[in-house]
Amino acid sequence: MEQNNTDLALIQKVLNGETDQYALLVKRHQRFVFTLALRFSKNREDAEEIAQDCFVKAYKALGTFKQTAKFSTWLYTITYTTAMTFLRKKRLDTTSIHDEDTVLQLENQHAVFNADGYEKQDSHAFLNIAITQLLPDDAAIITLFYKGEQSLEEIGEALHMEPNTIKVKLHRARQRLKEKLQYLLKDEVKELL
Amino acid sequence: MSTIEQALWDYIDGNLNEFSKKAIEEKIESTAEIKAQYEELLKLNSAFNALDLDEPSMSFTRNVMDNIALAPAPVAMKTKVDKKIIYGISGFFIISLLSLFGYVLYNSNLSTSKFGFNTNLNFNLAQYITPTVLYSFLFFDLVIGLVFLDQFLRKKIAQQ
Repeated sequence: MEQNNTDLALIQKVLNGETDQYALLVKRHQRFVFTLALRFSKNREDAEEIAQDCFVKAYKALGTFKQTAKFSTWLYTITYTTAMTFLRKKRLDTTSIHDEDTVLQLENQHAVFNADGYEKQDSHAFLNIAITQLLPDDAAIITLFYKGEQSLEEIGEALHMEPNTIKVKLHRARQRLKEKLQYLLKDEVKELL
Repeated sequence: MSTIEQALWDYIDGNLNEFSKKAIEEKIESTAEIKAQYEELLKLNSAFNALDLDEPSMSFTRNVMDNIALAPAPVAMKTKVDKKIIYGISGFFIISLLSLFGYVLYNSNLSTSKFGFNTNLNFNLAQYITPTVLYSFLFFDLVIGLVFLDQFLRKKIAQQ
């Protein structure tokens, strides 16, 4: 809440002409917006472009932001629509995790880890690999729920879906992420969890 | 996904009402298999909470600030609408209505009889609503409409 108040205070300053204060808002939210963009684009360069575009759009439309809502939710809505527009333009391939190509890619990634003598099975590293292999919507919902501190209603607002749909998708995404971890770690998943 | 797993996730997320919460707590306590499943989901939940956020490039903030440097400074929507225009339009319609009402009253013949009111609102409005008056009124409306359309399009362009 304190963070939310500070966001609103910064927005008010920007609207009052202190435009350099926007840099603080960018710094505060850039990691999350970038991560969310990465969940959709699966590519760092594209994610950087989407995230930058998102912050520029948010700046231009800052006057229309209803200050009764959370700034983060509004920002994630912009991120989602910007990412969707970007993907439509670039016609990026958003293949399913069950596709043959993706499985091959995963096998290679696993092999790379073994070949590099990755002795310590870092759970964070594997979890981050697993989440990048999820469908964009699933990865975004997991990220918004666990890292964005967003409620089901707020996620629904950001992704233009009903809260109940989000709830079902969240359950499904967790299940897929668990399966993905099991695939990556095989028997070691029990030790990890 | 099984119903029990979904219920366990709802329990972990705190999405259950008191009745459902007690029911699932009883199941966890009484059934070893469900308890094991619950503990596994709890660990999974903790792992998901520990997900890392990716870091954009070092120049990210600077790039954004460079991009917005040339954009017009944002202004709160409520101050964007010029209140004088709103007051001007309201004033026009209020004065028109009051003038019409005053004219009607001025031309009406109010007389009282012994046993009550005998109001004679006999006037011929048609002679004043001439085509010229109507055209002037419509022309004024058209001008107001064009002003609003202009403002709307300007806002759209600014947002892009």
